[in-house]
Amino acid sequence: MSEVPLLEVRELSVTFETAGGPLPAVSGVSFTVGPNETLGIVGESGSGKTVLARSIMGLQPRARVTTTGSVRLNGSETVGASETELRRLWSTEVAMIFQDPMTALNPVMRVGKQIDETLRVRLGMSRPAAKARAIELLEMVGIPSPAQRYNAYPGQLSGGMRQRVVIAAALACTPKLLLADEPTTGLDVTIQAQILNLLDDLKDRLHMSVVLITHDLGVVATRTSHLAVMYAGRIVEFGATRDVFAHHRMPYTRALLESSPRVANPSHTRLAAIPGRPPNLLTLGEGCAFAPRCAYANDRCHVERPPLSAPDAAGHSFACWNPLSEESR
Amino acid sequence: MLRYVVRRLVMLLGIVVVISIGSFYLIHLLPGDPAAVILGTGDTPANRAILYKQLGLDRPMVVQYFIWLRNILHGNFGISFISQTSVASTIRAALPIDLELIALSQILAFAAAIPLAMRSARKPDGIVDRILGAGSFTLLSIPPFIIIVLLVLVISIKLGISNTGPSSYVSFGTDWIVNLESLTLPAFTLAIGSFVLYYRVLRSDLIATLQEEFITVARSKGISRRRIMWRHAFRPSSVALLGSAGVNIGGLLASGFVVEYLLAIPGLGYTLIAAINASDYLLVQGIVLVVSVGVVVINFLFDFVINIVDPRISRE
Amino acid sequence: MSESLNELGVLERPEASTPLGWLFWVCVGWLTLNVLAAIFANVLPLVDPLYQNYNVVNAGPSLHHLLGTDDLGRDIFSRIVFGSRVSIAVGVGAMLIGFGIGAPLGMLAAYRRGRFDTIVTTVMYVFLAFPAIVAVIAVLSFWTPRSLLKIILVIGLASVPLVYRVIRTATMAIATKDFVIAAKVQGATDRRILIKELLPNIAPIGVSFLLIGIATVVTLEGALAFLGLSVNPPTPSWGNMINESRTVMSQNPWLVLFPSLALCLFLLCLNFIGDRLRSHFDVTEVKL
Ligand SMILES: Nc1ncnc2c1ncn2[C@@H]1O[C@H](COP(=O)(O)OP(=O)(O)O)[C@@H](O)[C@H]1O
Ligand code: SF4
Ligand SMILES: [Mg+2]
Repeated sequence: MSEVPLLEVRELSVTFETAGGPLPAVSGVSFTVGPNETLGIVGESGSGKTVLARSIMGLQPRARVTTTGSVRLNGSETVGASETELRRLWSTEVAMIFQDPMTALNPVMRVGKQIDETLRVRLGMSRPAAKARAIELLEMVGIPSPAQRYNAYPGQLSGGMRQRVVIAAALACTPKLLLADEPTTGLDVTIQAQILNLLDDLKDRLHMSVVLITHDLGVVATRTSHLAVMYAGRIVEFGATRDVFAHHRMPYTRALLESSPRVANPSHTRLAAIPGRPPNLLTLGEGCAFAPRCAYANDRCHVERPPLSAPDAAGHSFACWNPLSEESR
Repeated sequence: MLRYVVRRLVMLLGIVVVISIGSFYLIHLLPGDPAAVILGTGDTPANRAILYKQLGLDRPMVVQYFIWLRNILHGNFGISFISQTSVASTIRAALPIDLELIALSQILAFAAAIPLAMRSARKPDGIVDRILGAGSFTLLSIPPFIIIVLLVLVISIKLGISNTGPSSYVSFGTDWIVNLESLTLPAFTLAIGSFVLYYRVLRSDLIATLQEEFITVARSKGISRRRIMWRHAFRPSSVALLGSAGVNIGGLLASGFVVEYLLAIPGLGYTLIAAINASDYLLVQGIVLVVSVGVVVINFLFDFVINIVDPRISRE
Repeated sequence: MSESLNELGVLERPEASTPLGWLFWVCVGWLTLNVLAAIFANVLPLVDPLYQNYNVVNAGPSLHHLLGTDDLGRDIFSRIVFGSRVSIAVGVGAMLIGFGIGAPLGMLAAYRRGRFDTIVTTVMYVFLAFPAIVAVIAVLSFWTPRSLLKIILVIGLASVPLVYRVIRTATMAIATKDFVIAAKVQGATDRRILIKELLPNIAPIGVSFLLIGIATVVTLEGALAFLGLSVNPPTPSWGNMINESRTVMSQNPWLVLFPSLALCLFLLCLNFIGDRLRSHFDVTEVKL
């Protein structure tokens, strides 16, 4: 992370006004992503990953939401930017792959059109040029007989094919940064691997930086250079992926690892599910949000929140009063 | 898709058969001897013989139906004994007027409803939306016959604008400017009812569509708001719009009858009411049949168009 | 399930049902006034609506004639009150027939499903495809002589398929809910489920549709009267009052305006109450 970061997130907080009071979905999140880097963000469902990704994009609806902090995309601030300003960044600087390929495509528009409209609107391509390029893109993401698929409606494609279309649309204008929000969650396991490998491959070919969001540690293990673990809207552990896997200090990260099917020892057939439920964000107390579920919690954990530690020499940081030592792992 | 169309066609055929039976049976709702009522003042032995032959009135009911149906299928709706003209030619002369009137009114209604619904849907519950909502709700409660009477009162009588009052209709071929002038108030009246319906349907559907994930995805591509509204939101929502337009045809006809009656525009509605008042039952029967079948066929066409717009429907 | 989602803050807490608002009660008050006036028109101190006083023809509003008189010297106020009887009778009567037949059929079909549902629904949909308005005009023009009862009957029957569809859809949504299934499992009789579980939940939707239906029928009756297909003059009805006034519209615009206003206010109140009830109860439905 020596060069100018492509993405710089500083103290980003996103709070929803709900009927039950303010709901802090993302709190004080900071990280940077450099060129050609891949950052993984993992966390249970509801930990704020999608809200984070949308806020980075500037896509979060403005009504009844308070966003503070700063997000700089290749130098441009997106927090508080107008949609007109953001539109200049979208597609060309940053693109996003959405969680659910079933709802991300317009059901009454041919898939080809959904790719080439980006090319025409953003790059000013002519109709035939855009169509030719869209077919190339479909081919690039591994869709068989792309010229025919160009005319298909989303409903005529399988989930995996749809996700490939979504990816092709996101990559149409070769963005410098790609935010992939659980790109494989809705798909079955063999397709998941294909899509992830495809993303990996495209990242290298197109020289993109990628933020890969997932609830499944197995997905990020080999595909990311850095890893951020999120819990209740905060980053609770951050570091080089290898470091986080091998030397994690935060009990929650450990619990995640133990519950992850492909990371935990395969001979143990039963997975240790993380006990308890994710916290209610409306009633978060003063202490560590993980305390009610944490085996290492002491009195302090319930009254005072552990800050994210200063990064060590390897850039590894964590938020815990009672970090795991080498032995207790 | 093909299977869907075939299935719908079979249903269409069934409905048309039911309509034909209903229209045929109307004559037998008449009190007393239908021949006497149909012939009215033309009740001479010669006419009576013609009518008996034409309708097979001395035969069993089922046979009568098939005689009648065969005539209809040959375009023979009978000769009116009241006006001494063929029912088919009367209908043929009147029908284009209705089509023109309906077309004009629908152009007006869509032209107003689509942009206003989009404006409302952009900021639901905003000030513009609230005003439009209250306005359309009020319009909903004003029957077309009151609208046309008030329009005539103000525009043609108080303001004295020419060619807008009763009996100012001339055919398009004779003088198209006067033709359009004379159809302005009726088209406007019909448009109001349709506008209210289309505006409300499209607004609520657009609001729902704009919440969809694919709209956020489209935004994230950097596409303009205008393009998103038209290309991404309007098309899925137009299914609801077309559906309501299909359903609206019946109401539109009734309003059409009223305005034609008031302004003496010689379309089907005016002709129908005149025929009822003159006890010209064969003409009434012919108009009822043509209008009913017309509505059913139009609905079928709307279904078909909806299918093309939204490929999800026929796949189910 | 929904409870735990709620704790996660996924679901917003359902807001208290939208309040009905003061305008709602104003409308209820106005309708009540209309209905009472229609019922007690005979005993109210009103001029005979058919009495022609040639001394005051086409008069504007005055103390003697609150809303003036028409071209035959008849009292407009009195005629509006008596005219409301036709509108209200047709609106309520026709909807009673429509709901009396359509609602039980719709509930039963949605609850039983199977063959019964398939057959009834197919028949109803065939009739739905019919332009009901044309059918009503056709039958009324042949089935002479016209009377209030025939008008009510014809419109009522024509509305059955529509009522059927609304009630069937509403019932289907509720018949699959947990509490109904629970009642079934516990061995409640069909009759009991229909009356105790389904009816109370469908009633709000039914009532709001009933009110909007009455408004539609009143409009239709107005149009029929306007076309001369409803009750025959001189019996006043709002529709034929407006129709008759056309000829003297330029000399006496009151003659158009007052019955129009009466009719529009009546319709506005019905539509408003129906609409409010629907949004009021929609929330209740979510809360189930
Ligand atoms: N529009 C919204 N209004 C209120 N709360 C929201 C909204 N969007 C997300 N949330 C809440 O924010 C939290 C984080 O959600 P999300 O980012 O979708 O989690 P993840 O993607 O990690 O599963 C959840 O508790 C969710 O209920
Ligand atoms: S701070 Fe305490 S409760 Fe939180 S993770 Fe560390 S040990 Fe557990
Ligand atoms: Mg998510």
